[in-house]
Amino acid sequence: MSTEFAEWLRGRSDEQLRELVALRPELITPVPAHVEGLAGRASSPSAIGRVLDRLDRFTFAVLETLAVLASPVAYRPLRAQVARGLRGPADSVFEARFRETVDRLRSLALVHGTDRALVPAPGVREVLDAPAGLGPPAVEVFRHYHRERLAELVEDLGGGGGGAKEELAALLADRETVARLVEEVSPQARSALDELTWGPAGGRVPNARREVRVDTARSPIEQLLARALLAATGEESVVLPREVGLFLRDGRIHRDLAPVPPPLDGTARDRVLADRTAAGQAFTFTRAVEELCERWSADPPGVLRGGGLAVRDLKRAATLLDVPEWVAALVIEVAHAAGLVAASGSVDGDWMPTPVYDAWKVRATEERWVTLATTWLTMDRVPGMIGERDERDRLRSALHPDLRRAAAPEIRATTLGMLAVAGGPDAPLAPSLEAVRERLAWEQPRRRITDRDRLVEFALREAEQIGVTGLGALSGHGRALLPSASPLASGSEGGSRTASAAELLAPLLPEPLDHVLLQADLTAVAPGPLTGELGRWLALAADVESTGGATVYRFCESSIRRALDAGQGADEMLAMLERHSTTPVPQPLGYLVTDVARRHGRMRIGTASAYVRCDDPTVLDEVMADRRAIPLRLRRLAPTVIASKTSRATLVDSLRAMGYAPVAESLDGDVIVTQLDVRRTEGPPQLRAPAAFTGLDAEVITAAVRAVRAGDAAHRSRRRPVDAPEGQVPRSPATATIGALREAIRQGSQVWIGYLDSQGNATSRILEPARMEGGYLTAYDETRAAVHRFALHRITGVAEIQA
Amino acid sequence: MADGPLIVQSDKTLLLEVDHEQADECRKTIAPFAELERAPEHVHTYRVTPLALWNARAAGHDAEQVIDALIGYSRYPVPHALLVDIAETMARYGRLRLEKHPVHGLVLTSTDRAVLEEVLRSKKIQPLLGERLDGDAVAVHPSERGNIKQLLLKLGWPAEDLAGYVDGEAHPIELAEDGWELRSYQREAAEAFWHGGSGVVVLPCGAGKTIVGAATMAHARATTLILVTNTVSAHQWKQELLRRTSLTEDEIGEYTGTKKEIRPVTIATYQVMTTRRQGVYRHLELFDARDWGLIIYDEVHLLPAPIFRMTADLQARRRVGLTATLVREDGREGDVFSLIGPKRYDAPWKEMENQGWIAPADCVEVRVTLSDEERLAYAMADSEERYRFCATTPSKTRVTEALVRRHPDEQVLVIGQYIDQLDELGEHLGAPVIKGETKVKERERLFQAFRDKEIQVLVVSKVANFSIDLPEASVAVQVSGTFGSRQEEAQRLGRVLRPKSGGGGARFYSVVSRDTVDQEFAAHRQRFLAEQGYAYQIIDADDVLAGD
Repeated sequence: MSTEFAEWLRGRSDEQLRELVALRPELITPVPAHVEGLAGRASSPSAIGRVLDRLDRFTFAVLETLAVLASPVAYRPLRAQVARGLRGPADSVFEARFRETVDRLRSLALVHGTDRALVPAPGVREVLDAPAGLGPPAVEVFRHYHRERLAELVEDLGGGGGGAKEELAALLADRETVARLVEEVSPQARSALDELTWGPAGGRVPNARREVRVDTARSPIEQLLARALLAATGEESVVLPREVGLFLRDGRIHRDLAPVPPPLDGTARDRVLADRTAAGQAFTFTRAVEELCERWSADPPGVLRGGGLAVRDLKRAATLLDVPEWVAALVIEVAHAAGLVAASGSVDGDWMPTPVYDAWKVRATEERWVTLATTWLTMDRVPGMIGERDERDRLRSALHPDLRRAAAPEIRATTLGMLAVAGGPDAPLAPSLEAVRERLAWEQPRRRITDRDRLVEFALREAEQIGVTGLGALSGHGRALLPSASPLASGSEGGSRTASAAELLAPLLPEPLDHVLLQADLTAVAPGPLTGELGRWLALAADVESTGGATVYRFCESSIRRALDAGQGADEMLAMLERHSTTPVPQPLGYLVTDVARRHGRMRIGTASAYVRCDDPTVLDEVMADRRAIPLRLRRLAPTVIASKTSRATLVDSLRAMGYAPVAESLDGDVIVTQLDVRRTEGPPQLRAPAAFTGLDAEVITAAVRAVRAGDAAHRSRRRPVDAPEGQVPRSPATATIGALREAIRQGSQVWIGYLDSQGNATSRILEPARMEGGYLTAYDETRAAVHRFALHRITGVAEIQA
Repeated sequence: MADGPLIVQSDKTLLLEVDHEQADECRKTIAPFAELERAPEHVHTYRVTPLALWNARAAGHDAEQVIDALIGYSRYPVPHALLVDIAETMARYGRLRLEKHPVHGLVLTSTDRAVLEEVLRSKKIQPLLGERLDGDAVAVHPSERGNIKQLLLKLGWPAEDLAGYVDGEAHPIELAEDGWELRSYQREAAEAFWHGGSGVVVLPCGAGKTIVGAATMAHARATTLILVTNTVSAHQWKQELLRRTSLTEDEIGEYTGTKKEIRPVTIATYQVMTTRRQGVYRHLELFDARDWGLIIYDEVHLLPAPIFRMTADLQARRRVGLTATLVREDGREGDVFSLIGPKRYDAPWKEMENQGWIAPADCVEVRVTLSDEERLAYAMADSEERYRFCATTPSKTRVTEALVRRHPDEQVLVIGQYIDQLDELGEHLGAPVIKGETKVKERERLFQAFRDKEIQVLVVSKVANFSIDLPEASVAVQVSGTFGSRQEEAQRLGRVLRPKSGGGGARFYSVVSRDTVDQEFAAHRQRFLAEQGYAYQIIDADDVLAGD
């Protein structure tokens, strides 16, 4: 590892280091012990790979250029080299962007050194194995050639004797030599070179290692091999040495470079219209979730053996909601991810609403929507793939545990983030799918995400369905949900984000109404969402016929009967209709209610498990009067009939015991009333915390930097381990411990703790706490002279250190 | 938030609040692309179907107009998906066109080669086609003009038929406007049809469909074949044509069960056309008997399936369909669209009612409580006998008598299904009975007498359902019926919808037995009538008898 890089890093200010870890959070998980550790982490291939994935095409090109040029490079020549690759002129936009890019690369610790001597961070060159599609340098590609062969090549290229690969490299780096060589080869060989010029630099040919001389070369490939314009890298592969590539590119490293991203093409929308459309969709989506949960309350679909929901049940949901299957799948997945539905059990379970649903249901529409939309933004589920077949040709079913893509939340955030900056404030842009994909490819050219293009498409169409976008443009309430760009800007503003989204959405949603239009065809039209009470009443007394902006209810005999069964009276119902209708109640509707009520309850049905029948009422009078009959729970239905809740056998025995001589009779007409149960899972679901993509909060970052600094200070001063104070190991109550540690983190001070080590031995340490998270304390341990993580529950106590 | 009169539902229905100040304007805008489904008093329901959208396209509306109308009048945001769907559906019409080619006769052309390739791959389409002329055109066997249109519609790519029509044998026909004149909407309907070439004119019962037919004939000035539902209707057409046009008795032929005349204007019944002997349609030659310049289909919604097949071969002739509703109970609206043609005119019937062209009607359902004995008998009746039993219960007879007595000075029709019941009623009311076995001559005599007010009460069986014209019936009492059919209901109601000379509303009573299947049927009827916008109320028979 380059100590130069570590030294440079150490020389950065705390502010700069904080910026670094904010941009590359992977560097502090876990927190390195000192700056060398940080430098090592920052130059590891995996960490570099991750940060390269986040660079846009231009920034990436600058880094590639730096990697190709011999280090160190000064600012100006670097700029000149990049400028040659531009598609347009090197104007002020480029200048500004270039300045910013170099600084950014430095902030990211991908480049170090001053403007006079810029150097790529250690490890960058290794990770960028083919920068800008160029092959490896000659020194590297000819490394495996044996001396004799090298000598032949050098000779053929017109160099002096010897056979060092460096000599060959020097020849290839000479423009005149290469120009002459290229001049010599046949046109076919020339076009083969052209093919390889802009990458990929490698190709496949049979028998690549043949050792041909300029005089004996026949085929175009042989001509190139003989002149070292191509180098064999394997039995069947050849590559264009970097020096040759650069010559063929005429000194440029890139072409068609643009300092700014391609414009987002699309249609400008009217902001008000887009917001309204999105709000309408938000309302529809929220309602769809509710409708689904209500249906699953009464009629929960089963959980498939492998997890997930059967195709048939998905189709049913689509029919119920009157939407295409993919929308139904989205509704189901979001409801599940939000914890509104869950499996009732792992074996033979059903999908049904959870208690969370009951809490969600009673909240205001805008709040309900915010819950759903936030869930969608952060969930790693990919509903778009439901109904497709996976690699093993199995159908991907909804709610299946495997239906996940870690990149999904990031893609959604990135895509919507793009929409957020597209178009003017009053004319938000609805970009085409193609434009979004292109922009994304520009923003993260190196990033490889499986199915990225499809995930983008899903994100856009789902955003529209959920009402985050309207007419393809980001809505005001959708924008409010997006995380702000920089994690350093504010710590935890998630709460205020959702609140402001709800506030923005609320006025766009239709006002709940307290009236309906009653018509003679026995329908009630609610020209908008209804207030809770009226809505519930109508759902009871009428059947829903069509939904949308309005709801059409139909009264019929069975719905009226249902209301009567639920304890409504005819007069009460008529009064309710009268109260909530702006027009007189149509005569046929009033007639229907009274007519059904007239017959309702004329027959009574109950359950009894046994009865006593006797033609002589006086005998039954006697039985009813007998005190011994009380436990039998008898009920006189008619002068000659008594019903009982005990079993027939018990009844016979008891009556015998009372001195009667009853005879058992075969049973008939037993009615069992089944009651439709609304079912729920037993507890709230175990929700997986969604993958964090917003980065770290400022507090964590500061703590991490402090820890590194502290560790580094220790490391550098080669502090000897300090002996723990003598005496009783500190003991304090757990809350006091945590409070004291937190205070120490805030002040950056040292504390003395008692700690049970992994063997259970009580030890005594002097710590400089750096951060506390997830039950662990990260701190510099003076007694061990290193940064360690301590399990909080094993800290037996904290005490201050006497100076 | 905008406060439009229209609410767009997720099932593609449109709810129009009629009391809204913009309601009228909105109705006019959406009528071309949405079918009125229900029209009760406060909120009308329209449905946007692919056929309705294609009708709109055929009438020259484009998707943008439709979408603007929806967005402009909608109270709530219109789901984006619905708008996209509308635009896509409308864009399907006219991608394929049937055109006349100077060399190859009939050709199918396309502005979108992908679509043409798609339909050419269909196994059903292939046999109908001739050689491929170039990338965008393919020859079609002229005899398959109708079939290919039907199939293309099924594939979702309705073809625009621009191949034109033969003129047919010319024959002078003029409207004889002496003492009457075409109403404005009748003129518009005839002109709209003529400009469209072929198609369907939708007019409510009583709006004078026959006259529209006459007006189209006057446009065509060519020999005409008129297809009607039954013999009585055929007579009526003939009377009407004699009265309204320059045609004389000798120029109009009847082609029915009894007469087989073929004249420049020939009126045939569906029944005769679809009569088969040994599996062969015997009267098909009528279609080729003359070089017809115009074919009129009365009551298109009743057009029987064999006529569709015959019509498929007549695509080069101008066709006009007349109907009160595009809804067919067999769901063959698509065949009407592809074989007769798109909707050319749709009358704003509420306006027509306001202008007094059709009479408003009050519908009253009278509930008869069965006596205890009758109830017991009903409970024991076989299930297939139950309806007959409750529909013909003696209690109904008394109530019907009371109802008839309520309207001593008006023309009253008593309509029923069961002959025994009708005979009994006829006896009690002292009124003549018209049933299936009544001779056509006798029928017409009675109708005429009824029209002349010589008879005030007439008892009719279901033979009177279709196309008879009883202008002065202002009260109808229905005692039994099949009730399964919405159409029958519409037809019966149509009997009393004709404008009355004395003005005033019509009344339509249905006598129903309480707590029986009769009442279940009545519920369907109530829904249907209320959906048609008629005032509807339910009263108890006891109130009728008490008021007596």
